[in-house]
Amino acid sequence: MSKPLELVCPAGTPTSLRAAVEAGADTVYLGFRDSTNARNFPGLNFNRRELEDGIAHAHDRGVKVLVAVNTYPEAGDPGPWHRAVDDAAAFGADAVILADIGLADYARRTHPGLRLHLSVQASASSAESIAFYHREFGIKRVVLPRVLTIAEIAAINRTVPVETEVFVFGAMGIMAEGRCVLSSYVTGQSPNTVGVCSPPSHVHYEEVGGRLVSKLGAFTIDVLEAEEPVGYPTLCKGRFVACGRTSHLFEDPTSLNAIDMLPELMDAGVTALKIEGRQRGRAYVSRVVGVFRRAVDAAARGEALPPDDLRALTEGQSETAGAYRRTWH
Amino acid sequence: MALTKKPRRKPKSNPQLTLGPVLFNWSAEKWRDFYFRIADEAPVDTVCVGEVVCLKRWPFFEPFVAEVVERLESAGKEVVRSTLSLIMDARDLDSVRAISVDESHFVEVNDVAALTLLAGRPFATGPMVNVYNEGTLDFLERRGAKRISLPVELPRASLAALARQSKAELEVQVYGRLPLAISVRCFHARAHGLHKDGCQYVCGEDADGMPLTTLDGTAFLRVNGTQALSDTYGNLVCELDELRAMGIHRFRLSPQNVDMIAVAQAFRDVLAGSREPEAALGDLARLAPGISFSNGFFHGVEGVSGVGPLASAE
Amino acid sequence: MNGRGAGRDRLVPPLSPVLFLGMALRHVPLPVYQLPLALAMRAVRRRHGSVFERLGDLGETVFVIDPVDLPFRFLLRASATNPSLRAIAKDEYVDAKASVRGPLKSLIDLLEGRIDGDSLFFSRELVMDGDTEAVVALSNAVEGAEIDVARDLLAPLGPLSGPAARVVARARRTARRIAADLETARGATIAPAMGRAETLAARLEALDQRVSDMERGGKRRGGVRNVKAP
Repeated sequence: MSKPLELVCPAGTPTSLRAAVEAGADTVYLGFRDSTNARNFPGLNFNRRELEDGIAHAHDRGVKVLVAVNTYPEAGDPGPWHRAVDDAAAFGADAVILADIGLADYARRTHPGLRLHLSVQASASSAESIAFYHREFGIKRVVLPRVLTIAEIAAINRTVPVETEVFVFGAMGIMAEGRCVLSSYVTGQSPNTVGVCSPPSHVHYEEVGGRLVSKLGAFTIDVLEAEEPVGYPTLCKGRFVACGRTSHLFEDPTSLNAIDMLPELMDAGVTALKIEGRQRGRAYVSRVVGVFRRAVDAAARGEALPPDDLRALTEGQSETAGAYRRTWH
Repeated sequence: MALTKKPRRKPKSNPQLTLGPVLFNWSAEKWRDFYFRIADEAPVDTVCVGEVVCLKRWPFFEPFVAEVVERLESAGKEVVRSTLSLIMDARDLDSVRAISVDESHFVEVNDVAALTLLAGRPFATGPMVNVYNEGTLDFLERRGAKRISLPVELPRASLAALARQSKAELEVQVYGRLPLAISVRCFHARAHGLHKDGCQYVCGEDADGMPLTTLDGTAFLRVNGTQALSDTYGNLVCELDELRAMGIHRFRLSPQNVDMIAVAQAFRDVLAGSREPEAALGDLARLAPGISFSNGFFHGVEGVSGVGPLASAE
Repeated sequence: MNGRGAGRDRLVPPLSPVLFLGMALRHVPLPVYQLPLALAMRAVRRRHGSVFERLGDLGETVFVIDPVDLPFRFLLRASATNPSLRAIAKDEYVDAKASVRGPLKSLIDLLEGRIDGDSLFFSRELVMDGDTEAVVALSNAVEGAEIDVARDLLAPLGPLSGPAARVVARARRTARRIAADLETARGATIAPAMGRAETLAARLEALDQRVSDMERGGKRRGGVRNVKAP
């Protein structure tokens, strides 16, 4: 039996944190309720007291907590980001997840004992890039961008003395993360500094001629027939016209599900598996974490994976293996 | 308008114009001839040469690089070697390595991976490298950054804060489609029902990017291979004064499929104080018929917006 | 409401015990509901203060919660200091910032965190209308609260709440069983039609594919420039 992969699970609220712990998470990740984290949706995330209590709750049960401070501090106002790192350290977080070079530099100098993970928002997509963050800031783990094939992940693991964490379930980034300003172009709010892509404050649904039109800012993102499943109008999942054809040009409204690839990911030398979805509820967390707990344990024992259908929880109700298979490119 | 009546500020520092790298997959001959004309006629100080979007295009341009660089330098222009903006594998990295062995040119880093190869020597960073704050600016300066082209989405408050702090020379893109996103997936190939590996170089069909419209027919983006660009051309000709007052003196023009010599001249004239910004805006509109201009990012609103003189210039 | 709708009139109440309950309640006057709702709201505030704290950034916000299978709607006034909940008629005009509409069972499941809100939106079981940010904030806020409708509604009954909760639990189990039976009946009734529809859909998809392949084929021969191999 090999060592099971570490299961890193989302917690958008204290309730979801408890649900993730109960469902078998090895680690949960979460953020403060402000623009210092990349899931800054209204009503979500943790205030100081909740975060401190959440860490205590998880630690009592042997579960680690990672605090995402993974947006880019605004020029002239680094205070909230510095405080987020300071407080995470003070509350005993097992690591902070960072994207910004300046913030990593701050964390390294101010809290030399604090474990640093590199967020997917840093878009470190090559061994050399990861090596840079390792050398300069002592990054211990990198969350790999969702653009690499399994072969590329294996190559990175052979080259770099840094743990790798990969996404196995949830919404998929199509563009290089942290380097996309599409949402900002349309809404004026930068996902990189405000922490929310396609913010709900700029989302509108309109009924036109019996069809449902979803808009982000001034732009139509999709038009749905009566019975089509409706997705949240994330810009890059929209339907557009190019070359005279209507299509989901950037990406179909699908979710990543790499559950069938766990053995390959183990072979590729991956340390941890990440489930996306801090903006999803505890029902999602319980269900997905439970399914992956069983699958990870089965994979470690070298057994066949237990069947489970997570499709009802995925966006647009279809699944993809994403970039892990080169056919996606 | 009040602005036109104001006496123009004396430049504190000599303003510089940079011509960014050609982002599109022009035919190799068009690409070469474009740079030849820039060398001979364009009033720019610096010219970036290199493929930043897709390495598959580079073999077509590469045979012409030496003569293009030579022509630009004999015309007295500084040449900066641009590198890929999404580095994934050994081949991508080799392309940067090949460029960085030549130490006679500034290398523009567009992916952090390239920093590893440039350790210990001066470098520039392009607008796709995330320099959002003083902390990052300071770190990169300590590692040898001499020139930093800032992300296109930074609002004026951020630009001013960075300019107050910087030791490196800061640059802001003031003309051309805005680089909004880059992906490993090729949207151009996908639009043609092709896979990236067998793309048939369909991005070469669109010298100014492939138009992408919303379902209700609104022009939205331009697809350029693996890159998404704005449909609007960013245009900060009316903000040049304010940028210079902040202490930013280097301005980037991103090449479009228009008369870039005349575009450069328009900006040069405004910087020299010999033409009013609003008049130059009119010239620029005539040079790019059918194109909408935007300056929303600078003004802290939707990047697509045209604020101030741009709103009335529509 | 601002009149924008996400398929507002399309949502047909599902065949469920609630539908029959709704029919039975059609003649109960609205004032009857107001006191129990006020008490329930007080219990929610006491037990789940975080809900209104999480909604804090929105300021005072009015929501309409519209169970399609009941003869009335709920008006929720979310505010940090003085939140309230009351029943209103289906046709009463209210100036709400947003509404959520769906079968009562789904709304309760959502409230109690048994179903993921996003999943419901993806499948179009719930329909939202108005300010999306407000709906997302509400959904996130109740999600984080671990509300138990039976417990929180019955709490005001004091010593009686224990036995009452047992009655409610039994009623719920019965309702679930009835719902399952109804689902079987519904399936049996429409299965043949669904089978035909699926066959048709598959054929349409195949035709679509063929048409777009043909279009693409035509384009390929016409448009692409000849290129040298890299």
